[in-house]
This record gives sequence, C-alpha cells and structure tokens, in this order.
Amino acid sequence: MKIENTKAQMRKGVLEFCILSILQNKDAYTSEILSQLKDAKLLVVEGTVYPLLTRLKNAGLLNYRWEESTSGPPRKYYGLTETGKLFLKGLNTTWSDLVNAVSTVTKNNTNVKSTKK
Amino acid sequence: MNKTININLGGIFFHIDELAYQKLKNYLNAIRRSLSDDPKGRDEIITDIESRIGELLSDKVKDVRQVINESDIDEVIEVMGKPEDYMVDEEVFNDDYSSSYSNTRSKKLYRDGDDKFLGGVSSGLAHYFNIDVIWVRLGWLVAAFGFGFGFILYLILWILLPQANTTAEKLEMEGEEVNITNIEKKIKEELTDVSERVKSGISDVSDKVKNADYKKYKDKAKSGSQDVVDTLGKVLTTLFMVIGKFIGVILIIISVSTIFALLISLVTAGSIDFFQEDWYYQHFNIINSSGLPLWGISIMTFILVGIPFLFLFLLGIRILSNNKRSVGRVTKLSLLGVWLVALLMMLFFGSRQFVQSAFEGSVIEKQELAFLSTDTLDIKILDNENLSGESYLKHRWGYQLVYDENNVEKIYSNDIRFNIFQTDANDPYIKINKRSKGKSKIAARENAGNIGYNFTKSGEDLLLNGYFLTEIENKFRDQSLKIDLYLPIDQVVYLDKSMRSFLYDVDNIQNIYDRDMPKHYYKMTEDGLSCLDCDKNWDHNIDDSGSFKMKIDQEGVNINITSDENENAKVIIDENGLNISSSRDSIK
Repeated sequence: MKIENTKAQMRKGVLEFCILSILQNKDAYTSEILSQLKDAKLLVVEGTVYPLLTRLKNAGLLNYRWEESTSGPPRKYYGLTETGKLFLKGLNTTWSDLVNAVSTVTKNNTNVKSTKK
Repeated sequence: MNKTININLGGIFFHIDELAYQKLKNYLNAIRRSLSDDPKGRDEIITDIESRIGELLSDKVKDVRQVINESDIDEVIEVMGKPEDYMVDEEVFNDDYSSSYSNTRSKKLYRDGDDKFLGGVSSGLAHYFNIDVIWVRLGWLVAAFGFGFGFILYLILWILLPQANTTAEKLEMEGEEVNITNIEKKIKEELTDVSERVKSGISDVSDKVKNADYKKYKDKAKSGSQDVVDTLGKVLTTLFMVIGKFIGVILIIISVSTIFALLISLVTAGSIDFFQEDWYYQHFNIINSSGLPLWGISIMTFILVGIPFLFLFLLGIRILSNNKRSVGRVTKLSLLGVWLVALLMMLFFGSRQFVQSAFEGSVIEKQELAFLSTDTLDIKILDNENLSGESYLKHRWGYQLVYDENNVEKIYSNDIRFNIFQTDANDPYIKINKRSKGKSKIAARENAGNIGYNFTKSGEDLLLNGYFLTEIENKFRDQSLKIDLYLPIDQVVYLDKSMRSFLYDVDNIQNIYDRDMPKHYYKMTEDGLSCLDCDKNWDHNIDDSGSFKMKIDQEGVNINITSDENENAKVIIDENGLNISSSRDSIK
C-alpha cells in the first residue's frame, strides 16, 4: 500500500464536497472552480475534476449553462440544483462530525503516545 | 524544421507543430481510454478537457502566429495530470468497484506471442488464470494423450484467440490497467528484454516500438474475421513446419542407417574379394557372368544406392536446420554424374549377366534298359552323401559346391524331375534330358552337355543318381535334368520311397499325387500307369491309423509314435540329452 495512493484518495474523497461548497454561493465556470481548489492545495492535477463534474451533473446535483466570455469561446457555468443544495447540507453535517471524530481520535492517540514517552 | 497543423481546441484556433500534435492526440486518446467505463459521460468530459487545455494554451500564446510546441503540451499535461488521474476518480466515487476487482476486471484472454511454444495459447491461458504456464502445457499434454480432443481444442483456441500484439493488449492479457504509465513500463520491460536477446537485432526492437504504438490500441477491434484467417494461416504453417521437421528427422535416420549398412557391406564384400578363398566368393563367381569382379559390383551398388540416400540425408538436414546454405551446386552435380555413370555401368554389366542366360539348350541321351517285360523294375534314387553332406535327398533349386573323390571342386545340383511315359517299343528305355542356359543356343547346348550324370542298372534295380555335377568353370546356368522313363505295356515298376521329391507330374489312372506315389507297384496299361497295390479308398491322411504316447515325469520326456505300417519313432529327453530314434534311422 503506497502512501501516495492513500493521500490521493483522502483528497479526492473530499473533492466532491468542496466543489459543491464552492458553488453554493455563486455559479462558477470550470477554471474558477479549478483555481479555487488549487489555491486551497486540494488539487495536484486538474484532470481529476472533470469526470467528477460530469458525474455530479449526471447525478442531478449540478447543472450548467453557457455564458459568452469577453475573451474566447463561451464558458460552461456550473451551479447547484435544489437536490445539490440538500446534498451539500447533508455533507456539511457529515463533514463536521467527521472532523470532530477524526481530531478526537488522532488527538487521543498522539496524547497517549507522548505520555508514554 | 517541423510541419505545423491547425487545430480547433475548445473553440480556439491554434498552430501546433506535428510532434506536439501527436503528443496531444495520444494524451487525449489515453484519457478517452481511461474513461472507457463511462461511455456516456466520456465525450462530455473530453470536450471539457479540450476547452480547458485550449484555455491553458491560449494563456501561453502571446501572438496568434506563435506555434504550440512539445514543451507547451508537456506543461499542459503537467497541470492536467496523467490519464490515470482521471480514472482513479471513478474508483473512489463508484462504490461498486473494489480495487482488487478492478485488477482482474480488464483481464482478457489473448495468445501470448512473446512466450510461445506453438501458438502461445498456453501462456495466454496462464496469464488469464494467473497460474504458471508449465501447468497449462502439462494439461495440454495430458489432454492430447488422454483424450485426443485436447489437440483439436488447442487448434480451435489458437484460431479463435487473438494474439496480444500491442502493448495495451499485453497489459489487458496480464490484467494490468491500460494506462500510459503501464504502457511505458511495459515497453521499457520489453526493450530491456529485447536488448538482452542479442539475436533479435534492431528490427525486432523497432517492431516492438511499432507494436506499442497507441494508435493500434484504437484499432484493436479490427476485422475479427481477418484475424481468424491470419491465425489459421499461421496454425497451418506451423503445423506443416512441425510435420516437416518430423519428416526431416525420419529422413536423416533412414539415410544414415542405410549408408552405414552399405558401408559395412562394402567393407565385408571388399574383404571377401581380398581373401578370395571365401565360400561366398566362390559362389559369387559361379553365378557372376558379367565379367565384373565382386569388388566392382560392391562399389557400384554402394554408389547406386548410397548417393540417393546421401541426397535424402542432405534434404533432412536442410529441413531441420533452416540453414539456407546447402552443399554446393558443383558437388551435387558431380554426385549426380557419378551416380549416372554407376547406373550405366550397372545396366551394361547387368545386361551382360542377363545375356549369359538368354538362351536355353538341351542335350538328350537315350538309353535302352534291357529287362524282360515280366520283370519288375525297381526304381531308386541314389545319393552320394560324401558329396552333398545332406542326410536326405530331395529335389532342390540352386546348387552347392562340393569336392568329388579326386578333390576337384564341382557344382552339385538336385534339380532333377522324373516322369514316366508309355512306349510302343518292346523294351523300356530312359531319356535323360540335360538342360542349361547360355548366351547363345550353342553355348547353352554346350553347357547342357557338360552336365555329368550317371545311373546304374543292377539286376532289377534301376539306380538313378539324385544329383548331377558340373565343372566349376561352366558356372551355374540354371542347369537342370529331366529324366523320362518309357515303359512298354504290361511293364511293372516299383517306386522306391527315395523317389518322393523327384517325381514330377507323373500321370496315373488313380490320379495319385506325386508325393503319395512311392512305395507302390505300378503297371503300364493301355490307358496309362496304374497302381497295383493302392487302397481303393485312398486316404491322404495316414495319421489317424497310428498311436501317439507322451510321458513327462522326473526322468524326463518320453514321446512314442507308432504307425500301422510298423514304423515307430521315439523322442526321449533325459539326463543323457536328446535322443530321437525311429525304425528307419536314429539321430543322437
């Protein structure tokens, strides 16, 4: 088992959640989503996102529209659907629970370790 | 200098050089393959990716005339990620796929052309079932010998299974993910593999690289029937090859053993000729009338038979070795020439030999037998055991070499036929017809005249020699003797049992077989020879009138045979050895 794989899987596991979060306030086109994710260092390569967007769209969580751009061809703007919003709400709760759980577990164990020393 | 290509990427126009174009195209194709599990979303994703790449590239292009080159594409790929980065996604988000399942998911049954004994079916199956190929091959062996249909099954699989040619197919065969990284890894493996095999040479390497061409993967679904026909051809070629090799081995074995045997006989014949005293040598000279000495005939035979087998041997070697270089043309032609010369000589001497026996000739001697017609003529065949060394006398073809009482070597022959006819003369007479062959009628008659034959009359007995002699210089020329006894009417004869094998087609009223005629009295009548003391109900089987006793105990074996003619025979095996005795004579 390679650590790179585990790392990538962890990161990718939350990607779906993050994309939905980015879109909850305003619609965004792909490049905007990508740059936000990259700024947050959640993304190493951009390719990962595309199949994901399509999947979410096909699941009915996202929809998109074409918008003319001042520089270049029309852009695809993604936005959350109603289902997407509900889905995101659910994920939010799960996420905070998960963060709490994980931090508790890791904290306890690191404490035990340090006391042992 | 590179050609440039104009492309439209996500609605933006680019100049791109050829290498960069190829690279970009391969990259997009690889992504397309990584997404092959989701054909519905694939096109959409590719479109999105293309527009994103377009965006990224247009950031780099300051001037419309600027050309996209390979390093630009490398940078884009750096940003976008490797093809497998697109795919792992699906594994993570699709709950149906466990990672272990995905390893076997894309496994396909191919023939492995890199590890093949015949068609690579076994190694392909081994890859598929993830077992060592040796077990599969052993399985085939058992199936072929045990059930027979294993062979047919193998052929069917060979024809139906496609061979894994491209790297992508090889990865599929081994059950690995088909992605750029693995393909590269595989190609590297193959290249090292190839470089290790020095023999394979550069062409092979370039083949491998060609095979690895990504384009081929796309075309893998090329006409299936074409593939089947190709494979069928290969199967047949290989089959013929295998059969051919088998024939080659057989040819070599046969030719080598024949030439070896010929050599041995040549040496033997040569040594016989050298010593000249040998029995075979003398016999040979008696038959041989071609004028060619024994060693000549031996060498001739060796050449005549040996050279064709030498060619067979060369043919076998050539089949086996695949070596195109063979014996030089000159050698072949001269061998052929020698063979033809030998053939002509053989024909010449053969015809001479044949001519020596082309004509038949005979000499007839007639001799009166002065007996009173009321007397019974007792006819016996006499042997000279000192000459023949045989314990019994019988009619034989061929000849023997013997020494007569003066120690002169003679040709001794038993080819004598005896017959009885009726005559109007008052006294019986005998006609001795000496026959022989020769190169002309006269020579044949001379040969016949050289036959030495004797018979004697003593009292009522007519004692005929059961053999005749010829001088050795006359050689063996199918000499034979026909003895015809002419009897006046009412003359009675008794045929001794020694006549048995010399009687030849003797007509008699009772139609008794020649072999059953001896030991009876016959009278010449108007209608022919008539048996005087034969049973009316002539029975050819005399065995049922005797008795047969056999005793086996600790003393040995004792067999006792008695016939009703007061003849008996005993066979005793005991501590003294084997003892056979009969009322006639005994052998110990």
